[in-house]
Amino acid sequence: MSAAAVASSGTPRGERLYWALLVLPCVFLGLFYVVPVINVLVMSVTVPRLGLSNYADLVANPAVRRVLWTTVRIGVLTTAITLLLGYIVAYALVHTSARQRQTLLAIVVASFWISVLIRAFAWVAILQSAGLVNSALMGLGLIDSPLQLVRNEVGVMIGMVHYMLPYAILPLYANMSGIDRSLVPAARALGATPAQAFRWVFLPMSLPGLIGAGIIVLIFSLGFYITPAILGGGKTIMVAEYISVQISETLRWGLAAMLATTLLASVLLLVFWLSRFMDVEAALRK
Amino acid sequence: MSQEHQEFRDDCLAILRRQTEGKRVHRRRFLQAIAALGIVPTAVRFTPVAHAAAGELVIVNWGGDAVPAYDEIWAKPFNAANAGVKAMINGAGPTSGKIKAMVESGAVTWDVCDRTVPASVELGRQGLLEKVNWSIVAKDKLRPAHRSDWGVGAYLYAFVLTHDRQALRGAVPKTWADFWNVKDFPGKRTLRNNIEGMLEAALMADGVAPDKIYPINVDRALDKIKQIKQHTIFWTTGAESQQLFRNKEVVMGNLWHTRSMLLAKEVGDRIQFTFDQGVLFAGAWLVPKGNPGKDLAWKFIASAQDPRSQVELLKRVGNGPINPEAAALVPAELKVNDCGSPENFAKQVAVDSEWYAEHYATALNRYMDAIAS
Repeated sequence: MSAAAVASSGTPRGERLYWALLVLPCVFLGLFYVVPVINVLVMSVTVPRLGLSNYADLVANPAVRRVLWTTVRIGVLTTAITLLLGYIVAYALVHTSARQRQTLLAIVVASFWISVLIRAFAWVAILQSAGLVNSALMGLGLIDSPLQLVRNEVGVMIGMVHYMLPYAILPLYANMSGIDRSLVPAARALGATPAQAFRWVFLPMSLPGLIGAGIIVLIFSLGFYITPAILGGGKTIMVAEYISVQISETLRWGLAAMLATTLLASVLLLVFWLSRFMDVEAALRK
Repeated sequence: MSQEHQEFRDDCLAILRRQTEGKRVHRRRFLQAIAALGIVPTAVRFTPVAHAAAGELVIVNWGGDAVPAYDEIWAKPFNAANAGVKAMINGAGPTSGKIKAMVESGAVTWDVCDRTVPASVELGRQGLLEKVNWSIVAKDKLRPAHRSDWGVGAYLYAFVLTHDRQALRGAVPKTWADFWNVKDFPGKRTLRNNIEGMLEAALMADGVAPDKIYPINVDRALDKIKQIKQHTIFWTTGAESQQLFRNKEVVMGNLWHTRSMLLAKEVGDRIQFTFDQGVLFAGAWLVPKGNPGKDLAWKFIASAQDPRSQVELLKRVGNGPINPEAAALVPAELKVNDCGSPENFAKQVAVDSEWYAEHYATALNRYMDAIAS
């Protein structure tokens, strides 16, 4: 008898076993995740003194506002570009032959194996003023002086989009492969142009995948740390780096806890807000 | 680190073994992940630490070659001289955040930390450090600026003007004013994404006399930084500062002298640096409050005051000996690169620890904002 069968048959003894098995991970999560998170929530209103003074910084401190704005701007732009590129790749994956699909999927998944640090340094090597791209463009006579592609926000975004692409492609691919392949030809048979068939038939059906991928990419993007640090030339400071400086350098733990709480709350609110008009759980599951 | 802001100790002793970077990666990715989840401050407490047993002494530095270098130069001789004692070097990186977490949670497992004199004053005033036991540690082996109530000078290091002779086509920048002169010295520059040594350079470029730097006028220094910001890449790790020169991404930089030395050695005399107008910092030993080893920590620190051991460190990683007696022991060929030699010492600005202790946190946040805006 399979495990699933035991669970669904619902014998009291089987249920007890499964509840018991659930306890351990729950206790682990409670102890090492929920308690620390609550600790941070508390610290944001108790350090250095009781009250909301840390949260006042969200409004009153231009440096904090700038860091948050940079984080949101880069996060949203990264998400938009990643979704666009990811959508194209996923679309191609669904519509290509099985053999090509395997190769393409292997390439997408392979990028998971390369550490974020190595990727960041690889981008530096490719994009720097004496790097591959600039040397090629200058060799072809297309530009006279090297383009500033890295050590700025452009570089950060290139690195982040590259890192996030598989996180967009895989949910989009899962969603698109569930779409009935005969619907677009049916629309075409009824007189729709290819653009119309895509716009009115395929796109709406891939929307859950798009939103699910968007949530994943945005949440990850807001917490990026190492990519902006290496590719940003020190001038692009996102919230994760700012928090780490406040924790280990300036010892402003209250401020750091407030920012961490704000980040967490924004992400939760985002998911909650989306759940009001769509099935987030289903989108994420795909 | 930075990226956590990388500390000098982290860097200079990691120079020879690049694998260290691997360790930093994991710590950073870990921080990145927990930052995203919002559990940073408490996670610091869960960071695994070495547990000290009786007779054990845990000395914490910044990893990489710091571990074998300190072990051979200081820990092994100390263990040999004191029966039953086991001094161990741990490369965990004693950031202020970790020391604070450890002391406040009452679970102190570190005895000696490798930091700076300014940090000793800053943390000491917050009640996080033991006061120096001057009956064990020798006061007269240090210049007054290289000790505080909570810190004992360990070695010297400097921020120095470094340039690429080839890229500048023979023009030689001699002062920070030259560094700021983008007309006669065109090309990208690099500064550190931390205030140490950078605000001082900015003020000197703005015409402040080297002996009038402190107290630092932060507004004036930041205005000056903003002037060359668009021509500047800000480095975080020492390895990065070196890489920028190696790849010819910059023509000038304000670097740790150990990195400049290494570049000159590696790239050849294309890379030049000067101790003129350098900013001289003192690394310092400090002891977290309630350390398990008690006075043994001060005995260890006293043993590290031996000038011969400090010359050994100079030979291995380039840090300048802090004990003035060591100057006579430095081999002739190393004298030119010893930032603590009487000649080089006189050329540089000595850091005012008091100013840093009072203003570091505020000024750092303002600097970060200035370069990010």
